[in-house]
Amino acid sequence: MKKVLLTFAFAILTLVSVLAQSKPITGRVTSAEEPDGVPGASVVVKGTTIGVITDLDGSYSIQAPADATTLVFSFVGYLSKEMPIGSNSVINVVLDVDVKTLNEVVVVGYGTQERREITGSVASIDASAIENLVAPSFESQLAGRAPGVSVTTPSGILGSAPIIRIRGVNSLTSSASPLFVIDGVPLVNSDRSSVNDANPLANINPADIASFEVLKDGSASAIYGSRAANGVILITTKRGATGKAKVSYSTSMGINEAVDTFDLLTGDQWVTIANEKRTNAGQSELAAPGVNTDWQDLVFRQGFTQQHNLSIAGGSEATKYFFSLGFTDQESPVRPNELSRYSFRGNVDHNISKAVRVGTSMSYSYTEIFGLNNGSNSLSGAIYNSTRSLPNVPIYDEANTAFDGFNVTANGATTGFGNNLAGPDNNIPNIGFVLKNNIYRSRTHRIIGNAYGEVDILDGLTARTQIGVDLTMADDFQSLDARHGDGRSSNGSVFMAANPAFQWNWQNTLNYQTIIAEDHNLNFTAGLEYQFAKFYGFSASGTDISDDYFRRNNLITGSYNNQFSGGGYTERGYDSYFGRFNYSYKGKYLASFTVRNDGISDLAVENQRGTFFGGSVGWRVSDEAFFNSELISDFKVRASYAEVGNTGIDSFAAYGGYSPVLGGAGAGIGYNRIANADLQWETSKKLNFGLDMTLGRITVSADYFKNNIDGIILAAPTAPSLGVPGNSINQNVGQMENTGFELRVASNVISRGKFSWDTDFNISYIKNEVTNLISPLTGTYNRTEVGNPIAQLYGVVWEGVNAANGNPLYRSGDNIVQYNLVRGALGFKQYDPANPSDVSVAASGPTQEYLGNTLPKWQGGWSNNFRFGNFDAEIFTRFSGGNYIMNESLRGLLGQGFSNNQASILTRWTESGQVTDIPKLYSGQDQNMWQNSVSNSRFVEKGDYVRIQNIVLGYTVPVSALQSAFSGAISNARVFAQVQNPFTFTGYSGLDPEANSFSGQLSFGVDSNVAPVIRTYTLGISVGF
Amino acid sequence: MKKFAIKNIKLALVGVALLGFTSACEVTELVPANLIPDSEAFSTGARIESAVLGVYESAQRGFYANAVQRGYPFGAANVEQGDMRGEDMYNDQAFYEITYNNSYSPVSANNVGMWISLYRMINRLNIILENLDVAVTNGVLTTDEGNAYKGEMLFLRALAHHELLIHFARPYSDNPSSLGIPYRTFGIDDVTKVPDGEAVQRGTVSEDYAQLLQDLDAAEGFLPEGGAFRANKGAAIALKSRVKLHMEDWPGVLAEYTKLASKYAITANPATPFRGGTSTDNIFSFVNSAEANPGVNGALPAMYGNPNNGARGLVKISPIIWRADFWDPADTRRSLLTSQSTTGIFTSKYQDAVTYTDPNVILRFAEVVLNAAEANARTGKMMEAVDLLNSVRSRALPASVPMYTVEGLGDGTLQAILNERRIELLAEGRRWPDIHRLSGEGLMSGIPMKATTRSITNISFYQGGVIPMDHSLEYSSHLFVWPIPLTEIQTNISAPIEQNPGY
Repeated sequence: MKKVLLTFAFAILTLVSVLAQSKPITGRVTSAEEPDGVPGASVVVKGTTIGVITDLDGSYSIQAPADATTLVFSFVGYLSKEMPIGSNSVINVVLDVDVKTLNEVVVVGYGTQERREITGSVASIDASAIENLVAPSFESQLAGRAPGVSVTTPSGILGSAPIIRIRGVNSLTSSASPLFVIDGVPLVNSDRSSVNDANPLANINPADIASFEVLKDGSASAIYGSRAANGVILITTKRGATGKAKVSYSTSMGINEAVDTFDLLTGDQWVTIANEKRTNAGQSELAAPGVNTDWQDLVFRQGFTQQHNLSIAGGSEATKYFFSLGFTDQESPVRPNELSRYSFRGNVDHNISKAVRVGTSMSYSYTEIFGLNNGSNSLSGAIYNSTRSLPNVPIYDEANTAFDGFNVTANGATTGFGNNLAGPDNNIPNIGFVLKNNIYRSRTHRIIGNAYGEVDILDGLTARTQIGVDLTMADDFQSLDARHGDGRSSNGSVFMAANPAFQWNWQNTLNYQTIIAEDHNLNFTAGLEYQFAKFYGFSASGTDISDDYFRRNNLITGSYNNQFSGGGYTERGYDSYFGRFNYSYKGKYLASFTVRNDGISDLAVENQRGTFFGGSVGWRVSDEAFFNSELISDFKVRASYAEVGNTGIDSFAAYGGYSPVLGGAGAGIGYNRIANADLQWETSKKLNFGLDMTLGRITVSADYFKNNIDGIILAAPTAPSLGVPGNSINQNVGQMENTGFELRVASNVISRGKFSWDTDFNISYIKNEVTNLISPLTGTYNRTEVGNPIAQLYGVVWEGVNAANGNPLYRSGDNIVQYNLVRGALGFKQYDPANPSDVSVAASGPTQEYLGNTLPKWQGGWSNNFRFGNFDAEIFTRFSGGNYIMNESLRGLLGQGFSNNQASILTRWTESGQVTDIPKLYSGQDQNMWQNSVSNSRFVEKGDYVRIQNIVLGYTVPVSALQSAFSGAISNARVFAQVQNPFTFTGYSGLDPEANSFSGQLSFGVDSNVAPVIRTYTLGISVGF
Repeated sequence: MKKFAIKNIKLALVGVALLGFTSACEVTELVPANLIPDSEAFSTGARIESAVLGVYESAQRGFYANAVQRGYPFGAANVEQGDMRGEDMYNDQAFYEITYNNSYSPVSANNVGMWISLYRMINRLNIILENLDVAVTNGVLTTDEGNAYKGEMLFLRALAHHELLIHFARPYSDNPSSLGIPYRTFGIDDVTKVPDGEAVQRGTVSEDYAQLLQDLDAAEGFLPEGGAFRANKGAAIALKSRVKLHMEDWPGVLAEYTKLASKYAITANPATPFRGGTSTDNIFSFVNSAEANPGVNGALPAMYGNPNNGARGLVKISPIIWRADFWDPADTRRSLLTSQSTTGIFTSKYQDAVTYTDPNVILRFAEVVLNAAEANARTGKMMEAVDLLNSVRSRALPASVPMYTVEGLGDGTLQAILNERRIELLAEGRRWPDIHRLSGEGLMSGIPMKATTRSITNISFYQGGVIPMDHSLEYSSHLFVWPIPLTEIQTNISAPIEQNPGY
């Protein structure tokens, strides 16, 4: 942008006036961004028309009149600066970036628009704030950066995808994730790995990204029509600029650690508890004192993390280029989880002539993830296992060479018993052996690219065509040791899969821009788009392995006795025709209208087309003559309405019929889905009111929105006894509403001499309500019903522990009942507060109620940037709350079996009159004591938190120092230290309030043995050559 | 002027190019690669055979917790749940604990899984039943082929509904007019059929049993003889013998037995019916293969097998039955069909702990014989009763152990037959149906005491000393029958069925 304006600046600022009585002044204009000099900046003698512009290295020479006192330096994107002339003949100036206008041009769908002309709700996020942070994928760092954009990092496993919601949850069972578009090409956001979580966005190198634009309201996103219901995130990668090649290298290295681990019983404490459980149930004691082991030590570690990015950018007038190489290797705190990525990008733009332009953006990346079994109830699940394993048993048994020196029973069935008379519940394996020997590997080659051509046909009329591809070549390898753990039951297994996904996208647009009668600015865009995607894959596996030697890297022919294979294919096509009209009268009255017609192959042919439209208006009140405010320099109000759709539905959602099924009796076909050819698009009706305002140094942006989702495509539940496949039929039933308010306030608080402080705060409130539904949708923990927000926790109400006898108390209708933990008299009994020890009257079990909302009602972020001379610092804080979490991890750790427990179990009821919240221990009564198959208010906790997300400290090496040390070889250098996720302030008792076991919309807010999120310490350096 | 012309040409070219590509770009009229439309599913004989195989698949690999796993209802789960509701197999881990210690609720997974997977199987077969006549009319099938398929579907329909009855309804032997289960006789393959389906109510136990017999009589008529791995005439008859036993129709039980007596035979070696599944004793089994089986979390060889042989061994033989004085120490079923480790005794009826290919044995002639023995004993034909009992028992005993005699057993004949069922059918899931019917008629008072869950940690419990006991349940308790799943009641919009009392 800057460079484009350069030419413009040359054209108008060639006025050089030479007066007889004048004084020559020379100097150089630089900035932190352009330490080599800011070319094209204007230098004007204040109060005159005398001015020059700086040359390519930022230097200038001006003849100032003898009476001139001040020079004014200005350039687009920078704050202008006045310098007294005095007796100086050399004046060097460092310009400061004008944060406010930096994002003047905003990428919108199929084009760009000036920020001040925008009437929809678009949030821009500058990537420079996050590009040096260490993260497996860019989107986790968007959390808290813009109002209305919610990003939840649900666990510390690298490769697991953050949950992104823009302006709340906008679908029940269709996708609720936004559309990602990179350089105009929609991404395939599909995890193609079958052995690990392999977030497809982790294939993109965050360092290649220049900016993000989040299209939030209907009008802004309506140009994406049927794909816009969940908002759109536009990613623009870095591109070259005219000038000599600029080489940049940055690196950071550090440590990943778990923010917290579970507080468990020691071996000795556990022996007491384990035996008490059994004796209370009339069973023999099994536990005997041994060692004190914390099995979590086997799972958690300090993981080394590093990243390196090298880029070269530059160009001539005709050709601009950007090339980059990236490498990162990140070890998570959970063994052996690791993610590494090698990436390459080449972005080239070329002007064939004044009227014809071509260009390409190409990226290739290779991502490798080593994962693990972290199933919340898997016997070899790392968190489940390490928190259940018996703490009085040693991890190792060096003599046991058959099991690599791990403590394992001779038959390999479970962990060794130690001094105990029995092994751990469910025969859980020794997690050390499992983590060392089982392999979960996913590899992804990803090519995302596009090529475009652009022709100026007439003055103001431009035709553009762009072809984009997104190719994912994913392959998986999983290998399980035959001796112990998950592989034992099949005498070892190996599995491989190849799961490619290929999508092409072809867009053709015509854009016509004109100005009529000076004041009427019109912009028309019309276009058509085709998209076709293929998802396919096959797998092969073997069990009963002849020798462990053969299972380390790949399937090896002949090394296993039983062979299996499988495969699948699906495709999806999409076409659309769209148009947009933007109008501006003097920049004062603004309007935009969009219409789009989409067809998608997932719906029946007769119902597959939908038309979506959106419109918005804006009024720049501050440009009116009557508006005369010293305080408010800019004030704009906006309103928009749109109807958009959601394509995140099942492949061939409207189709039904018989799918292949393989039974013991042979390969057959089984009724798979009831067809519903009447299935229609689900529609989001989005209303938005907003304002943008500048008060002195403060910019404020506020939005109110209401999103009414109608005709929700729902896998509508049917009574199971009907035997309908999946107990559901895809139907357009249901309606939901999200309303909310967003506020962003940014300001340069202090700018005094060497010190400056910028702050940027945002907060969003969201209310979700399901307004129509065929029947309540009930899952294990959550329930969604008309009149309530989606996915409320639903379950039993805990009424404490009966101090008289240690029985757990629950609400049953209007009564309180107790589960009588007495052998021979087990069962639910009435509870009489007047006579708490009376257990004579039988009762029915607890009844269920709503226990809390799982979606945060408010959330936001607050960044503060400080600069003092060459030092800079950022403190970024995030907050979220108004939601509840079901702490299933804790419930599981208060189990009544022969497994380890959370340390709080030490406060269990032991004697009459004791007031506690842990009942009398009783072996095997988990279900009755804790009501395991539903939520339980005993474990429902508030999810409010304030998190210090990042603290970054940087030091920019002075140019003079670099000059003398490297004689100009290094033009700029900055060293920095970062800590990500250092502190969280929360009342939640689990490991982390963002922990979330499920990513679907209908089951949310459940923390079940989730791996703790990561805290990262890094040191880094970035240098420019 | 010239310049203007060039621009027009460019414009025209762009326009032509766009038009050309547009018409060539048809991307939305696609069809799924993995779904045969309803209209084509019964268009050939091979497809109908495939659809029928799909019913077997749904019987053997139904839905549990929204995924195909764990062998619901008849891949393994019927055996596991049937055993875990009784006292002769012992639960050693959390896995089956909810069933074992009676802590299920309308949302617990095992009972919900059984309900869902049985009705899923029933709907699959009902849809086929409705399409068979059309296929015969259209000449896709011959009349004989059509009838044979009808017989298969009707047999499987009865098998599934009877499984529902013994878990979710009170026994026929108590009060035939108590609440039954919805008996589904038509398929639901269209949105418009949902309200009709929702309208089907629970009816009474006696109505359900009448429908069972109607289905089975028809199946017997339609079905040819055949091997044990597909429904066959013998299977329909054997299931009738079982159903009539629950109805206390003793002459009926004997009549069904008589039809089979010449066709099947008890094997001399009690292990033979479990070693391949094609013996003279095997009447009907569901096949498991290396590619299609209940998996490590369901397969009988994994769950019931000895860990020393690579199995998981979550369920052991209970010391209660092992130490029962009516089980002779010399019985070959103790040696040929069990396996020991330091932690306990396991069944070895199921052996393939690596690929889980053991068939799930559903109907054996031995059961029909014991049904007939009981029917004889109930009707005073003690000689016939004891002869049949001996034909099962003494084939597993050395000659040194004398056979039972009418005189020797005296009043204990019926009890001896019931005891023999516990031994012969051990680890086959048959204990619960017996507790169900016998409690209904008052011969048992409900679920007896079991060895306390997770307490039998050592082989010594099989040899002597006190067995920790717990988990008995009175017949009168509401927990005696499983609850109707909450989801069933909540998602039936027009006519939710009635919940079992007490839940």
